[in-house]
Amino acid sequence: MSSGAKQAKSCPIPTRVLTLKDWSQLPDCYSQTPGGTLFSTTPGGTRIIYDRKFLLECRNSPLARTPPCCLPQIPGVTIPATHSIGKLQDLKEEEEKDTADDSQFEMDI
Amino acid sequence: MNNKFDALKDDDSGDHDQDQSSPKDIEKVKIEEDEKELNTSKKKMVVPGAGEHPLQYNYTFWYSRRTPGRPASTQSYEQNIKQIGSFASVEQFWRFYSHMIRPGDLTGHSDFHLFKEGIKPMWEDDANKMGGKWIIRLRKGLASRCWENLILAMLGEQFMVGEEICGAVVSVRFQEDIISIWNKTASDQATTARIRDTLRRVLNLPPNTIMEYKTHTDSIKAWEDFHGLVNASGGR
Repeated sequence: MSSGAKQAKSCPIPTRVLTLKDWSQLPDCYSQTPGGTLFSTTPGGTRIIYDRKFLLECRNSPLARTPPCCLPQIPGVTIPATHSIGKLQDLKEEEEKDTADDSQFEMDI
Repeated sequence: MNNKFDALKDDDSGDHDQDQSSPKDIEKVKIEEDEKELNTSKKKMVVPGAGEHPLQYNYTFWYSRRTPGRPASTQSYEQNIKQIGSFASVEQFWRFYSHMIRPGDLTGHSDFHLFKEGIKPMWEDDANKMGGKWIIRLRKGLASRCWENLILAMLGEQFMVGEEICGAVVSVRFQEDIISIWNKTASDQATTARIRDTLRRVLNLPPNTIMEYKTHTDSIKAWEDFHGLVNASGGR
């Protein structure tokens, strides 16, 4: 308002221009908050923070279930151990036993 | 000297420290070989998939195992540690984790390591050189639950210590299991205190569980002393 006021420099907001030929080309991140669903501010900048409950809920999504590509085959770690002492093997055998018992029970009824 | 107790004390989490003696020449050669192996095995950049929840950092799972009784050596540690895979999102993490056995079911002298991409789970890595770790010794039966809570807290950025976290380790040993979390700057007491407080909050540990902080250089010294004792024909 006063005659001594300096005029602030203006600077355009940085933008990126995409030319789309079709709606299907719209990027997945369009109009979403960058950085993830839970957006938090911490000293030093924004961080992507998830609580335990949220992470556990993500486990059920179909995206989380497919085996990862290139999982190395390590007996006793990523695949059942080759000899019967391996625990994964024992668990599998127990599972099969349980389902067999269930079907017998139903047949009796 | 009670050999049995010294042996147990030696079996620390991340006790790959003890597999490495310090001569600088051997260190250098080992790191070069390690980097070469990593470079050839990792060609693709890992990114979150469409619709997935990105993590603040990418992480890599590693697995290591040592045959008990076999003398530890620099070469054997390198050969015994394997990358399982890297991930950049919550969903990718679950894909790996759901296809890996739980630590409580691991046999033998084994470790899982979960470190930020680019940081090797070894003391010599630049990120770990000046660092240390909180270690928590657990009786048998607790490792699976505690490991899961620990890594969920790490991946979810619950520790709030900037860039300081390097990774986490779960170590399955003879009569106990050990979980640990590594950070970059051992001398940063504000950071180490905050990590300790977060561990108490997220892990639901049994009462009277002791947490111990060890710098990596102290771990190396302890290992060197122990092996010095053993190698000198049964005496000092």
